[in-house]
Amino acid sequence: MEKKKFDELMTDLEKIVKELEQGDIDLEVSIEKYTEAMKLVKACGDKLGSALESVNKIRTENGDFIDFKTEDNQ
Amino acid sequence: MEKRYITVSTLNRYLKNKLDTDPNLGRVSLKGEISNFKGHTRGHLYFTLKDETSRISAVMFQFNASKLSFKPEDGMTVLVEGKISIYEATGAYQIYVENMEEDGLGNLYLKYEELKKRLAAQGLFNEEHKKPLPKFPEKIGIITAPTGAAVKDILSTIKRRYPICETYLFPCLVQGELAKDDIVKQIIEANNHDLDVLIVGRGGGSIEDLWAFNEEVVAEAIFNSKIPIISAVGHEIDFTIADFVADLRAPTPTGAAEIAVPNIADLNVLISQYKIRTTNLIGHLLKNQKTRLNNLKNSYVLKSPLAVYEQKEQKLSNLVNTLNSIIQNNLQLKINKYTYITESYIINNPESLFINNQNKYNLILNKLELLNPISILSKGYSVVKFENRIIKNIENIKIGDVVNIKLHQGEIKAKVEKVG
Repeated sequence: MEKKKFDELMTDLEKIVKELEQGDIDLEVSIEKYTEAMKLVKACGDKLGSALESVNKIRTENGDFIDFKTEDNQ
Repeated sequence: MEKRYITVSTLNRYLKNKLDTDPNLGRVSLKGEISNFKGHTRGHLYFTLKDETSRISAVMFQFNASKLSFKPEDGMTVLVEGKISIYEATGAYQIYVENMEEDGLGNLYLKYEELKKRLAAQGLFNEEHKKPLPKFPEKIGIITAPTGAAVKDILSTIKRRYPICETYLFPCLVQGELAKDDIVKQIIEANNHDLDVLIVGRGGGSIEDLWAFNEEVVAEAIFNSKIPIISAVGHEIDFTIADFVADLRAPTPTGAAEIAVPNIADLNVLISQYKIRTTNLIGHLLKNQKTRLNNLKNSYVLKSPLAVYEQKEQKLSNLVNTLNSIIQNNLQLKINKYTYITESYIINNPESLFINNQNKYNLILNKLELLNPISILSKGYSVVKFENRIIKNIENIKIGDVVNIKLHQGEIKAKVEKVG
């Protein structure tokens, strides 16, 4: 789950919510789904919370990417 | 005859009226070079329009001048539209300018319209070519100038809304002759990297400043990009060819960043909503199943399991009873029949059959005895025959007839002596 992209995690989460909302679902399955959903909620939250220093790069003439800052937030 | 003198104002008013009602002078399109340009503090513009040999005064009032997209100055060749009228106070006729454009722009507009029409006909703007934008991009490519407001707006907006995504700036010229090739080069380069979406654009400027984004090569590069592109050129009112061919047009660079990334605060809200929804749902589900279980537990069968047995038992007893009584009845019938037979008179007195028959025989025998004519003769009766027939009366019997009389023993032949 850690390796999944945020987009995939959100898509999975939306899918499970929809499935649970449909209602005609086995109790065991629904509990599994719920457990999965809670894991996804946590994973999504972790991803959103992991805002480190934002990565801004600029491509140089020789094709490298170096850190980029605009003039007024240096 | 005395000459009539009119006043200057009357003359000027007369001339002004003449000019104002002239159909040709109501709307004049004029080309000329600006000279003696004066910008009034109240926003009105006063200048002279001239060509090589002639000149005319011009005025552009503030409410028209405020709409200008460029700063007029001496020496500039302009295209103006307006009416010719007279300023009564000076008697000077002048052009009252309503619109003014820099000369040369007309050509640009023509080129723009022509290219737009051609690319539209080629289908480059068609909806089916529009690539969907990723909902949660992780890497965003930005193709714009590394300095200036545009890149700053984009980066600060992304940082504010969605700080977890990475940005990659592909710096390029955004105006001037070299800009178009630079933009094309960086769009192609960006496509060599694993990026989720590209923002291509620049900040506001004059139509010439934005012109690179109206170039066909740029339109083609945007069209050919595998990565979805958001265009963000100039201000909200500026529409470039790049905007039409891009997968999505943003009104401004800031707008492009807002479109490119979701707002992390909204996402956090959404995720907690999902959490609440799933928790509620599972709660409902468990409650429903619990209710179902309780209903089953309270059901008649589970609550009194013996009842079912009792019912079955009772049914069985009833069946056995029914069966018994049927057999009993049947048996009784047979017994009755048997008893009837064994107790019958015949079975008990078989000899009666014989006695009966003997009596009957004797009776018949007696009757036979009685009927025997011979036995009657033995009692003294006799039978008289005439001509071999038994005589029962005196008919046909005459005196002198000879009759035979049969007795019990022997016969007599006798002659009739008397009849009657």
